[in-house]
Amino acid sequence: MDPKTLRLFYEPRDRLRLTIGTERSYPTVKPVWAAPLSRPGRYLVLLDGKGEEITMIANPKEALPPESWAAVQEELRRRYLTATVTAVLHAKVEFGATYWSVETDRGRRDFVTQNLQENALWLSDHHLLLLDVDGNRFEIPDLRALDSTSQRYIAAIL
Amino acid sequence: MSGTQVVQPSDLKEGEGLGRDAEEPLIRLEADIGPEGRFGTRILEVTASRVRVWEPDGVVSFQVPLADLKSARNEPLVGGGRLEVTTKSGEIVPVLAYSMSLAAKFSEAARGIEQLARGEALLINLKQERMRCAKCDRLLPEKDGICPACVSRGATMLRIARFLRPYQNQAIMLSLLSVLTTVLNLAPPYIQGTLVDQVLTAHRNIGLLFGLMAAWLLVLASSVGIQILTGRLIAFLAANIAADLRSGVYRAIEFLQLAYFDKKQVGAITSRVTQDTDRVWGFLVDGVPYFVTNALLLFGVIGFLFYVNWFLAFCILAPIPVVCAISVFFWKPVSQMYHRGGQKWARFHMHLNESLSGIRVIKAFAQEDLEYGKFEHRNRELRDAGVRADAKWYTIFGAMTFFTSLGVLINWTVGGYLVYAHKMTLGDFWRVNAYLGLVYGPLQWFAMINNWFSRAMAGAERIFEVMDADPERYGEEAGYPITGAVSFEDVRFGYDKSNPVIKGMTFTAQPGEMIGLVGKSGAGKSTTINLLCRFYEPDAGTIKLDGKDYREIPLKEMRRQIGLVLQEPFLFNGTIADNIAYGKPGATFEEIVEAAKAANAHHFILAKPDGYDTMVGERGAKLSGGERQRISIARAILHNPRILILDEATSSVDVETEKQIQEAVGRLVEGRTTFAIAHRLSTLRNATRLIVLEKGEVKEMGTHAELMERQGVFYNLVQTQSAINEIIGVGT
Repeated sequence: MDPKTLRLFYEPRDRLRLTIGTERSYPTVKPVWAAPLSRPGRYLVLLDGKGEEITMIANPKEALPPESWAAVQEELRRRYLTATVTAVLHAKVEFGATYWSVETDRGRRDFVTQNLQENALWLSDHHLLLLDVDGNRFEIPDLRALDSTSQRYIAAIL
Repeated sequence: MSGTQVVQPSDLKEGEGLGRDAEEPLIRLEADIGPEGRFGTRILEVTASRVRVWEPDGVVSFQVPLADLKSARNEPLVGGGRLEVTTKSGEIVPVLAYSMSLAAKFSEAARGIEQLARGEALLINLKQERMRCAKCDRLLPEKDGICPACVSRGATMLRIARFLRPYQNQAIMLSLLSVLTTVLNLAPPYIQGTLVDQVLTAHRNIGLLFGLMAAWLLVLASSVGIQILTGRLIAFLAANIAADLRSGVYRAIEFLQLAYFDKKQVGAITSRVTQDTDRVWGFLVDGVPYFVTNALLLFGVIGFLFYVNWFLAFCILAPIPVVCAISVFFWKPVSQMYHRGGQKWARFHMHLNESLSGIRVIKAFAQEDLEYGKFEHRNRELRDAGVRADAKWYTIFGAMTFFTSLGVLINWTVGGYLVYAHKMTLGDFWRVNAYLGLVYGPLQWFAMINNWFSRAMAGAERIFEVMDADPERYGEEAGYPITGAVSFEDVRFGYDKSNPVIKGMTFTAQPGEMIGLVGKSGAGKSTTINLLCRFYEPDAGTIKLDGKDYREIPLKEMRRQIGLVLQEPFLFNGTIADNIAYGKPGATFEEIVEAAKAANAHHFILAKPDGYDTMVGERGAKLSGGERQRISIARAILHNPRILILDEATSSVDVETEKQIQEAVGRLVEGRTTFAIAHRLSTLRNATRLIVLEKGEVKEMGTHAELMERQGVFYNLVQTQSAINEIIGVGT
């Protein structure tokens, strides 16, 4: 399937629709990343209303028509509530729980993590995903990009 | 999320004027994600007439009349959820998003919206959960849970100390001996000092030399005696308190609700019984006496130093604050480094374990190099962490040694001068010198005490958390007769409350009936069984046994009446006879053989060299799947329950064994209310009735023949399955 023939748009205003060329149309489309952590921005899968795959696009940013890519990005932004940490303001281990206070792309947030062996996932040497006690996700794509204070907090805890 | 309509606060006042009651908020929930996906607050408000969303600035950004709604639900998102409503025209409208922390609440609110939209009474449970500690405003690790920072350390200490109570005489004895040890430690230098002044420098009183030596010998002998006694006392206390703690924690864990085990890994729970108890008794038996003895020693020596010469004492003690500071400031980073090393070790171990247990796969895929690469990576990490931690440790240790040696240097300088100027005797100088070693030694480790204490407290809190967790309400009342009538009445349940898996299930099973539970995987079959066994209790609705809410029946009695035969039967390490008798402790050998015969197990058991005394191995590993299954059936037969549950009891065995097991099952189900789950639908042909589940709801109910005739969901399942069997048949 040629991604250029895909047209994604909101109709009605909160439902993402997909038409493929002139032959097919899906009233509800759910975009999901196949490997959001290891291959961010690549391998986008479009699912239909029943959760069946319609197609997978290896490089959506280049392959999709610009308006469609914009619509998909909007939907992805709504579906992926993972927060990207831009700075660690405070972090402290106390009695087995770790209390974090972070600045993220979605604003400031305080959260608690427990059992860091399982809930701090190292996706590579510098890529970290923290899962808090409720299952909320906090991603640090590149530790080296954080300021030195943030790095110190993380180094002290992990 | 954009709203469908924007209403200004001024408009609202008119609305309120129209009908105050209709606008009374029935549900009011705060969401934690704002319109642009940023963290922020928005409020969901449901009144008798509409659903709306308030922005923090008092603007209504969304509203829809309840009368237009058909349904509402929590749409799971990555790291959160979204409340969605479906209008009567079939349009799905997103209302607002929230983080995972609030998903369960909003799922409940969605149910409330549905109830109101259908004109039913509002029956939801939206109790206010505390997210933060009321005292210190810290986030709580578990909602409504304890705040680990605010658990009073004093109270925890007292609770720990309570474990000493059965051994209070020994504990008091130990404290007295600690004080005595301190005093005895101070004696030899004092004797030496006296010797120097009265005999050596004076060159007379030779008789005193022998007297003092005799005293020293006495001190030595008694301190050795006390040391032995103390050691034996500590050994006694340590072993006893450790055993008590382990038993206490294990007993508490046994009665925990199953939901607790879902959330935690077995390893994490095991460590509470082993590691955490170790930390607590270690601190109690080793840490406390160590701290007390050294604190006494410190005060004793400092007092003596000032008694001898205040100026010298002052000079000697000057480096102490530095030593303490180094100890306090540097202990933390060093211990963190060692902790990190420990974590690296754990990862290294895990990897080693995994690759060795998967050695067949590694060889089969010829991936030795890949695994070696991973191993090397972990190994290097470990090496580097070790080097870093040790390097830092030796640096700090060196600095510490320097400052402690400084004390000796100062003593020789200042004390040397004082002796030279006849302002102090050589004996006192000698005493001071000897005492210095006693003070500076323990001082280096004082910072460790705090760490020791913290770890023990953390361990204690984890232990007490288990001990204080809500246990299953076991009753002891015996002889509660159950005939075996089971009814589910509008039962709702979800392991995760934001995602119900059983949605309003209703059915009745008469005593002696065999009910087959049918449905695709994820339809809620196993969950129904879990609810029936009361491993979990329904979130709403009731389950009745003999017409009585099963929560009113003593749990122990209820479980005694339920027998379980699982797909993967779990046998305990022991003999075959032990395992069969597990269902009825104290069963006679005749009863065991009888049960084994009924389970078609007698034959294969006798073929084993040790017969019924054959050891089954860990988890029954030395037996085949079919053998394990028949032993578990024998166990259930001996248990003689009124209600029997067969969870895929006949899958994963060959055809001949299956026939044998089927026969055994046939004998087992006689006269009992039976619930059977089977993947192969043909095996449920004997069921009195079948209940077809789909997405947590009862879709169809009836006999095999009735359901086939109806050509509904069950018919389709049977068709698909026979079609698949044919394909598999062709394929093989």
